[in-house]
Order: sequence, then structure tokens, then C-alpha cells
Amino acid sequence: MSMVMSGGRRLSPASKAALGFFARYATIIGLLLMIAVFAFLSPRAFPTLSNFTNVLNQASLAMIIAGGLTLAVIVGELDLSIGFAASLHGVLVTGLIVANKLPIPLAIVIVIALGALIGLVNGLIVTKAKVNSVIATLGVGTILTGLAFAYSAGVPIVAGVPEAFLQLSLGRWLFGIPNNIIIMAVVLGGLWILVERTALGQEIQAVGGNPAAARLAGINVDRIKILGFVVSGMCAALTGILLASRLGSGTTSAADSYLLTAFAAVFLGSATMRDGEFHVLGTFVGVLIIAFGFNGLNIFGAPTFSQYIFQGAILIVAVGLASLGRMISES
Amino acid sequence: MLSSDTFVSATMKPFIVAENIAKAYGGVQALTGVSLSIAPGEVHGLVGANGAGKSTLIKVLAGLVQPDAGRIVVDDVPVSLPTPHHATNLGMSFIHQELAFIPGMNVLQNILLGVPKKTRFGMVDWQAAARDVAPIAERVGIKAPLFASVKGLSTAENWLINICRALVRNARLIVMDEPTASLSAAEAEKLFAIVEDLSASGVAVLYVSHRLDEIMRLCSRVSIFRDGRSVGCLEGAAITRPALIEAIVGGKVESLAAAARHPVARRDVALTVKALTRAPKVNSVCFELRRGEVLGIGGLVGAGRTELARLIYGADRPDSGVMTLDGAAFSPRNPTQAVKAGLGLVPEERRAEGLLITKSVAFNLQIANLANIVRSPAWPLIHRRKREALSLQIVRDLAVKTPNIDTPVGRLSGGNQQKVVIGRWLLRAPKVLILDEPTRGVDIGARSEIHRLVRELAARGMAVIVISSEPDELPDLCDRVLIMVEGRVVSTLEGEAITRNAVVEASYFVGGQPTQETTI
Repeated sequence: MSMVMSGGRRLSPASKAALGFFARYATIIGLLLMIAVFAFLSPRAFPTLSNFTNVLNQASLAMIIAGGLTLAVIVGELDLSIGFAASLHGVLVTGLIVANKLPIPLAIVIVIALGALIGLVNGLIVTKAKVNSVIATLGVGTILTGLAFAYSAGVPIVAGVPEAFLQLSLGRWLFGIPNNIIIMAVVLGGLWILVERTALGQEIQAVGGNPAAARLAGINVDRIKILGFVVSGMCAALTGILLASRLGSGTTSAADSYLLTAFAAVFLGSATMRDGEFHVLGTFVGVLIIAFGFNGLNIFGAPTFSQYIFQGAILIVAVGLASLGRMISES
Repeated sequence: MLSSDTFVSATMKPFIVAENIAKAYGGVQALTGVSLSIAPGEVHGLVGANGAGKSTLIKVLAGLVQPDAGRIVVDDVPVSLPTPHHATNLGMSFIHQELAFIPGMNVLQNILLGVPKKTRFGMVDWQAAARDVAPIAERVGIKAPLFASVKGLSTAENWLINICRALVRNARLIVMDEPTASLSAAEAEKLFAIVEDLSASGVAVLYVSHRLDEIMRLCSRVSIFRDGRSVGCLEGAAITRPALIEAIVGGKVESLAAAARHPVARRDVALTVKALTRAPKVNSVCFELRRGEVLGIGGLVGAGRTELARLIYGADRPDSGVMTLDGAAFSPRNPTQAVKAGLGLVPEERRAEGLLITKSVAFNLQIANLANIVRSPAWPLIHRRKREALSLQIVRDLAVKTPNIDTPVGRLSGGNQQKVVIGRWLLRAPKVLILDEPTRGVDIGARSEIHRLVRELAARGMAVIVISSEPDELPDLCDRVLIMVEGRVVSTLEGEAITRNAVVEASYFVGGQPTQETTI
């Protein structure tokens, strides 16, 4: 992902500063601009508390899965299994509750533990068997899709989903704030503290920044990378559970599309406020941009295909901005 | 016999003459005026200690680096070499230590890389190309079929392919940089025969090597560089080992045997290393290191010193051998265990292996010391005031010049970056600290500060190992110096016997029985 300035030209300090500011704050400026434009074009429907709450509620699941992915990319790996894993987890949690009659909390704990296990497997394949993480997690993700079909025979589990499970996602148990938002805030807050404020977080950042230097400084690089995958796997599981609760069913491939959203958000986040470094707060902003974009497109009745174009374009712009930031900070 | 005139008795008109080439990198004068002339068909040796300017001159000739002063004349015509392409067009070919091939291509495609090829209907006619190349490949002795993949070929075979590549381009001068560094004795013999054959057919060879035996055997003339200057050119019978070493070192060399050894009784033994081996780079190395001692490891680049340090530090696993640390068995499986046991390493490649270049000074200082800056082991949040206080303390103690501790470490000068890497370990106070080339790329001021710091740490009882390729550095710094040659410790210098000249001479040690530590 490294780039060379065309022709090796030196930038003047002023233009470097301007470009650097642009690369760092373009995402936030873009987000505010987008909100302003939508508010101007649709002053009744868009800039309302209920619409904003709705957007945040909708975006919460993407934020959780993208937050987990952030840990994986900070330690320098990619986790492509998260979307498929979340789909499997959704099917599984419904199945455990409906077919196996397990208590809801137990089913949730089992599924999240399974998410951690999948992360562990990903991590072991990448660090011990030295398989490139793109290939390893793509392979594991595909296997998980197969398992989801095997478990449900491809038929959505709809009948008999208890109301209590639906309330997990749909309820507003605290101060009328949707549960999704509260769960998301707790997860992202926890991840932020982990990465930015704990000793472990320093090691996580060091491994992502320069694995060779981290190793010679005495950090157990493999263990940290595995941890990144485990966190990613657990967040995918949580997203799968909440999605099943929201949909009221366990459907194979229901969460697959979260993969692209999460990647777009994570890369947008790396271009936010820092020069191409992944971080949790950036990911949060990244998901907001995508969520408000979708919301705006919906309000104006834009056709479905435009959402794909929007998301693909966002991914490319995000990576471009992140590269620009890195290039400037390194020159 | 040492002639100061570089241009004596070129019986033939020289193919290339370089005169008074000067080059500075930043403030460092790499070349202050070197001259060289090479006749057609001549095998011309180029020797000098590490950092004498050999590589810089080669880069100038290759068009990779532009000289600040001086001129280059090819066939009596002054030329400029703004790009490698120009050097190639003038008939110069360069074979470097790390040979670069495109792995997905076959032998023939690699040989013809960048050469215009015959085409039929716009497609490359590989059969015709193979017919043209085959005789040349045969001449240099390439055994692999031209259409075979380059994957899995030996280093020796890679050299032959590179020589073939040079000949296909009608090279009149082939520059070989440490050609035998990774060849076996038999492969080296084959290479020598090819060099002689090239010479007989009128192709000149500039043979750059630390191995004086090869220089004496192959070269009709040898240019010697020291500290970026030409210090002479030896010819024919005048090319002897003592003459070469004297020219490389500058001044008479007192023999090692005469050097007095002062057995230094010191404090407890911190680290013992017995018969540590990892083929082929480290071979049965033994030594012991006492508290409060600064032990130097000298030798030429590639002698296995960094590899030895990595073994001790657990970054690589040894094939055999045992170590003890403070009397207890010590066999770290990875650096994490070594650090826990009380080791620290300041690696050779500061930017690649030492620092997180985009992270702050404080981050880089504390990364090996996180247990000391958390609120409590059970509540491992970073205590920011502790972090700041400890970082500031190191910055002050080591006089790190930085605007503040949150400045990205990449913005600091080389010397200050190095202080950060060293400072990281001070917070842990390791029992044994290994510094690999601690003052490379560091300015004079920072260099003496780092030296003072090393002595201070030893005075406080730390055991320190310093690896250095600069012969001047070890005498300043060390109580004892081991010299490594080709993976073995060949001699130990102590006290007054540690001189620049002794270090250099021992570094060129070849043959005979290596002297091992007798204290173990």
C-alpha cells in the first residue's frame, strides 16, 4: 500500500500542511457537509432527533462488527470472515433458542464464545501456519457459510422465535435509548479504552506499527495478533446475534454484506484525524458517514443500485485518503 | 613498494579512469578524492575497511549516485553517468551481493531483461534469442536449461547468470562486489576460472573483496581505499598480505602475538556462551561476559556478529550450544523470554527493527516497559503521569533533543533516535545489554555521548556487548574485544592490545587455528 510521490517532487511546507489537513479532516468535513446538504434538501424528514436516533440505531450493528475488525487491522491483518461468521452466528443463536430451547442468555454466551473460537482459529492459521490473512480468513469464512447452510438447510428459522429475544435489539431498556445504541457504545468504548489506554493496547499498536521492532522489544507478536482476531470474531458474533434479534429470524447470509461496510468504515476511519493509522474512534466516524449516506439516499428514494455504487466509491476514496495521509506523514 | 600514483604502468590504454571523485552524504564525506584506472582485460582489485568508500565509488560508476566532484573518462572521452542506463550503454555491468531476479521468469528471460529482443510479428522470438544466448551461457558454464525457472537455483548459478547477462550486453567491465561471500570453496574456484577467462578475452573485472587471498591470487593491480581516499595502488609482486593490510590500516601492524594480554579479574560472570552454533553464520562461539564489562565484537560485515547477537537474544534458535545467565541455564525461545530473563537489544537496523517510526518518543521509550507504567497489574490502564515522568527522565538523562515526548520519533535526528532505542532499555535495567552498531549513522557529538553512556552503564554493573564494524570504535569503548571471521571467534584482544590496527588485522585472519577463549 506504499506509494511514491510522482516524480519524487518535494512538497513545499505550506502545501504539505494543507494537504495534511485535508487528508486528516476530509472525512469529518465530508460527514458534516453531507448532513448539511441533506438537511437543506429535506428539512422536514432528515434533521430530526428521531431520524438521527434511527440512523444511529441502524448503524450500531455495523459499528460493532467494524470495531472488532479495527482490532484485526491494527495488528496488521485482514479479517474477511466476519460477515460470513455473523451470518452463521445469527442462524445458530436462533437455532439454539428455538430448536434446542436453551435460555436466551446461555445461547448468547455460547455463540459469542464460538465467535472467539473462530477468531482463535483464524489467528493460529495466520501466525503459526503462516498463511496470508486474506486467504486464511476468506477460507474460514467460506467454511462458515457452508456450516450455516448445513445447520439450517438453507431455510430461515422464523417460527417460534420468542418475543424476549426480539426485544434484545428492539427494546429501549435505558432512558428510552434503543438497546443497540447502548450495546454499541459499551463495545466501542471498551475497545477504545483497550487500544488507547491499556498496556495491552500499546502492544497492539506496536505490533501493527512495526512487527519486527515490536518482537525485538520483547513483545509476543503472535499472541497479540491472535488477540486481534479473537476480538474481531467476538464482535462479529455479537453483530450476528443482534441482527437475528432485529430480523426475528436466523437467515443464512443475512449478515454477509456487513463485510464490505466494515472495511469501508475501517479505512475511512484510518483517514480520520490520524495519518493512515487505524483507530476505534475513526471507525466510528467511518460507519457514521456510510450510515448517513444510506439514510440520505433512502429519504430521496434513490434506487438500490446507487447504494452499492456509493459504498464502493466510499471504500476507494477512503483508502486513497489514508494513503495520502501516510505519504505526507512519511515525506 | 606502495605507490601513491594510481596510474602507474597501465601498459594498455585504460578502459575507464575515475579521477578525484568526491561525494558527501549530508554532512558525512563518503569519498574525499579517490582515483582508479582499469585497463581492458585487467582484473583490478579494490580493498578497504568497512566504510572506506568502496560501495560509494561503485554506486558512482553505476550511475546510482552523482559525485560532487571529479571526472570519469571512458575510452579517453569524459562521460557523465546520470542514470544506470548510461553506465550500461558504456559497457559497464554490476553484480551485487544481493542478486535480484524476477522469480516468475525463466533463466533466459532474466538474462535478457531490459535488452531489446528479436520479434516476429510483434512477439518475442524466444527460440532465436536462445540460439544467440546459448554460446555465452555455455562459455560461463550455466548448467541450468535456458528455459528453466530461476527458482531454486544456487547462489553460484545466480552469479553465472548475472555474468552471462553482462556478456550479452557486451560488457567491457564487470564489477563484482564480494563475489565469494556466499559461495562454497568449489564454487569459488569455478568463479575464479571464469574471471580469468573473462580477463583473457579482454573483459576487465573490478573485483571488490575483503578476502585478501582471492585478491592476491586474481588481481594484477589492487587499489586501496581508506577513509574515502585512494591510499595507493599495488601491482604484481608487490601485492602481499602485509602490504595490503598495512595499506588498509594505514601504518605498521604490530603482530598479534606480541600484544600483551592483561587478564582482567572482574565481578561475577553474567553470561556464558558455549559452542553456540547456527550454520552457516555462527560456528561454535564461546565466551563469557562479566558484570561491569564492555565486550566488543569486531570483524567484517558478514562475519556473523549480528547473527550471534540474535541467537543470544532468542530472535533465532541455535543448532547447538548452551548459555547460562547469572549461573542458570538460559535458552530463550523468543525475544520475549530473553527480555524477561534480563536481556536488552539495540538492533543494527534502527528504523526497521528498533523504532515505531510514526509513534511518539514516549511510546517508543515505554514499549518494553509497560508493566512499570500501568496503574496496577490487575487494572492495566496506563498511568499517564508515570509514563510522562519516566519518559522525561530518560529524555533528560540521555539529552535526547526532541521538542517534547509526544513528537513522532521519526522527526528526530539519527543520533537522538538511537538514544531513544537505548533509553528504552534503561528503564528495565537489563543484566545484559547488546548494542549492534550503536553509532552507525550517528553524528560525532551523539556518538561520544552514546560511548559515555555505555561506559556509565557498565560502571553501574551492567554487562554490555558492543558490535561494531568501525575499528576505531572498539578501542575507545571496550575492556575486551572478540574478533569474528566467518562465524568463528578467531582472537580475543584485551586492555592495551585493543588497537585499531590489531582489530583490523585480526578481522582479515584467514586459516590457522582460531584462538578460543581459554577461560571456559
